[in-house]
Amino acid sequence: MTWRARWLGVLRTPVGASAAALLGAVLLLAVLAPVLWGARAEAMDTAQILRPASGAHWAGTDGLGRDIFARVLVATGTSVRLALAATALAVAAGLVLGTAPLLLGVRLGRLVTAVVHIAVAFPGILLALSFAVVFGAGARGAVLAIGFAGAPSFARLTQTLTAAVANRDFVAAARIAGVGRVRVLLRHVLPNVGEPLVVNATIGAGGALLAFAGLSFLGLGVQPPGYDWGRLLGEGLNGIYLNPAAALIPGAAVVVAGLAFNMFGEAVAKGLGVPTGGTFRSLGRRAEPAPAAVAPAPSDVLLNVEELRVSFPGKDGPVTPVRGVSLTVRRGETVGIVGESGSGKSLTALAIAQLIEQPGRVGARRLDFLGADLLTAGPRTLRRLLGTSLAMVFQDPATSFNPTRRIGTQLAEVAREHLGAGRRAAHERAVDRLQAVHIPAARRRARQFPHEFSGGMRQRAMIGMGLMGSPQLIIADEPTTALDVTVQQRVLRLLAELRAAEGVAILLISHDIGVIEQVCDRVLVMYAGRIVEDLPAAELRSAARHPYTRALLAAVPDLATDRDRPLPVIPGRPADPAAPPPGCAFAPRCPLADDHCLTEDPALVSDDAGRRVACWHADRYSPPSAFALHTNTHGAYLCAEQSEAVVTAGPEHEA
Amino acid sequence: MSELTFENVSVRYGTGRRALTAVEGVDLTVPAGSVVGLVGESGSGKSSLARAAVGLHPVSAGRILLDGRPLRRDGRVDGRRPLQMVFQDPYSSLDPRMTIGASIAEALPREVARGSAARRDEVARLLALVDLGAERAASYPGQLSGGQRQRVALARALAGRPEVVIADEITSALDVSIQGTVLNLVRDLQRRLRLSMLFISHDLAVVRYVADHVAVMYLGRIVEFGPAEQVLGEPRHPYTRELLAAAGRTAGAGLPAAVADAEPADPHHPPPGCRFHPRCPVGPLVHADRTVCREREPAPTGDRHRTACHFAPGGAM
Repeated sequence: MTWRARWLGVLRTPVGASAAALLGAVLLLAVLAPVLWGARAEAMDTAQILRPASGAHWAGTDGLGRDIFARVLVATGTSVRLALAATALAVAAGLVLGTAPLLLGVRLGRLVTAVVHIAVAFPGILLALSFAVVFGAGARGAVLAIGFAGAPSFARLTQTLTAAVANRDFVAAARIAGVGRVRVLLRHVLPNVGEPLVVNATIGAGGALLAFAGLSFLGLGVQPPGYDWGRLLGEGLNGIYLNPAAALIPGAAVVVAGLAFNMFGEAVAKGLGVPTGGTFRSLGRRAEPAPAAVAPAPSDVLLNVEELRVSFPGKDGPVTPVRGVSLTVRRGETVGIVGESGSGKSLTALAIAQLIEQPGRVGARRLDFLGADLLTAGPRTLRRLLGTSLAMVFQDPATSFNPTRRIGTQLAEVAREHLGAGRRAAHERAVDRLQAVHIPAARRRARQFPHEFSGGMRQRAMIGMGLMGSPQLIIADEPTTALDVTVQQRVLRLLAELRAAEGVAILLISHDIGVIEQVCDRVLVMYAGRIVEDLPAAELRSAARHPYTRALLAAVPDLATDRDRPLPVIPGRPADPAAPPPGCAFAPRCPLADDHCLTEDPALVSDDAGRRVACWHADRYSPPSAFALHTNTHGAYLCAEQSEAVVTAGPEHEA
Repeated sequence: MSELTFENVSVRYGTGRRALTAVEGVDLTVPAGSVVGLVGESGSGKSSLARAAVGLHPVSAGRILLDGRPLRRDGRVDGRRPLQMVFQDPYSSLDPRMTIGASIAEALPREVARGSAARRDEVARLLALVDLGAERAASYPGQLSGGQRQRVALARALAGRPEVVIADEITSALDVSIQGTVLNLVRDLQRRLRLSMLFISHDLAVVRYVADHVAVMYLGRIVEFGPAEQVLGEPRHPYTRELLAAAGRTAGAGLPAAVADAEPADPHHPPPGCRFHPRCPVGPLVHADRTVCREREPAPTGDRHRTACHFAPGGAM
């Protein structure tokens, strides 16, 4: 029932509340005015013909001595009723035309779509005027005219929306289950496109109201003795020099009612979550604690992050998906961050690159890159540092390039923007960098558009774009997740190669512990917004001490997994970032958890060798530094024992 | 228990110059009561084959048979729908506006449960089958985790009393800690209900864990098929070996540069001859005299373990 809450949420915003109140008043008036003032609006008084506005007649009187203000109020009923009727007709016709492609099948559907597209190309008012002539002057003719004139845009909207929903898997699943087309439409498609249609119908009603006033004004709408706002406006206009109120008041009524419909529609559209584009820089410089006197970092440290926090406003106070992450990356080092969805690993990366958008907030005790404090640096320093020394590679290579521009041009832009290179030099550099990432026939490929590249090639070109400057650090956020296994290996090989050849440090973020293990020197394991373990990748399988790290390793099947036994699983579900448990976040799923774990969160403690772990029971797995051989066997034994415990916990915990 | 057979099946999208043959001349059998794992990279046609089997897309040539009886275009046999499918993304495969009880009930055939009480009982039974409580029937998908949703999707597929279940990448959208639960459940249900199953995945380790037989697909063709332990233990096709190397994270080690740098082929313009030859480490890229790969498409050879490669060990030539 979240959608009901969302509708209520719309009414709680100031704009939503006032629009709803205004619309309510207009609708109430439409119902009540004819009852209350109907007689007065019809009462002729030959003694009071064409009087200007006065205390008795607020808007004066018309040629038959009738009170114009009362007539404007009473006309609310007619105007709103006719506008709603026209909108209803537009929506109904639009729905029929818009859902036809879904019901009729491919060929007939295409024909209907084409007809709708042609109709959309005509201006609505032109259609309405020509329809009004066809259907003849009068209220009914005008309703038909405005209704049919509005139908194409609704049809188009319905088509787009239903096409999107019809491609979703639940529609396919319903069809496999044998649900007929009409029922799929009524049960699965229409409920899921309802909200935007309602919003647009509301806005459409405002438009219909205006259009109706226009037609009546021109004499094509309501005919005497009937009257609506447009008619009153037309009559009042004749005597505008004698009695301006007779024209202004119906005009104002049209504007207010039209505004009420439009504002309500817009408020609902906004409240129902059409995302608005945010600004790009973070609020990082307004960070919480001041960068106090902290010990200077050793000089080979490239990136030094202490107590990084990222928070977003939530329904019940701020949500903090990254809760105090501290990490360092040395020159030429490859560090991996592994974690499940919601662990905060990607947000950590975005926060380091200063890419958290409003309303997100980034705070840290320290966020140093190349010796410069990113939290206090001015925009110019940031631009230079991040533009040339830091490269970012995202998960989806299909969306990280502008589809309308050539790959080479997009790469060259970086050199021109940040390095001030000339057009030719920038292009040469782009070709050179494409070669560096093993794009075959780089010169020809540079002239191609992103869609002409395969997924793996696009991802490599993206890395090449990062190499346009002279990056010290590449942050790669799930760079291989969207790629096939064979292509995945090539991208990973490329990253390793760059590191060897150019001494670039890499911060690799992935949910795949195998990928991290293969490429990285050091692994950071994240759970519920914290780092829970930090250890050399080579020791991952032999010396991991955190139960989560061990469970994660055991849960992934590999080519040696025993087929005859159930896979070890981690019971329960990942912690909710909005409500992290009071103690250790992993405690509810941990086989070793005791009361202490449930109440107190363990700190991330370093040992002599620089490994870090946050677990009260870390010593249950013997310290890896001392007796290496002994530790290995012991560790393996404990791992097996733990898998057993996890298996018996079974899946119902999650249910 | 039923046997699903693809006979020379082709699936084509679009017409004219933009046409794409996603599946071409595939022969594949899912033996009754067993699991066939179908692996291949994106664009290899494995999902197209699945969608054709359940009637979401028409086959352009060939036949799909269930126990020897051809499936109709809409996936029915004798008025029933014996094939059901579980989709990759549990966030898009359940209608967000419907309770999960209603979603499952919708898939119940009329003759299975008449009347609302019977249907409610049947929904509760199906939920229990996937380790979810009956009270979950009133929940909306938004209230469930990814793993729970995938179990609901399984329950919905089972509601139709299928004889064959097609699982299309059902764990790839799940977190690793959840993936194991779903795999265990799938294996358990398959054995208990003696279902035949076509299990599609790009992850060889997952396929190895679930499947009895493995079929490897490349650019619309099955290039290798056989018992799982043979295909994964003694792979004969170079593509299978490449996939295995990638899964074992040793890929690229020792590959000739020409092969390591070759691009994946474009499905819109499949290469002539053997479709794998432009990136094959035992083909003309490395052995210049092996021109046959460019000219002639290899036919599958072998009996239980079939391979479509001119130079497969133990194969033809």
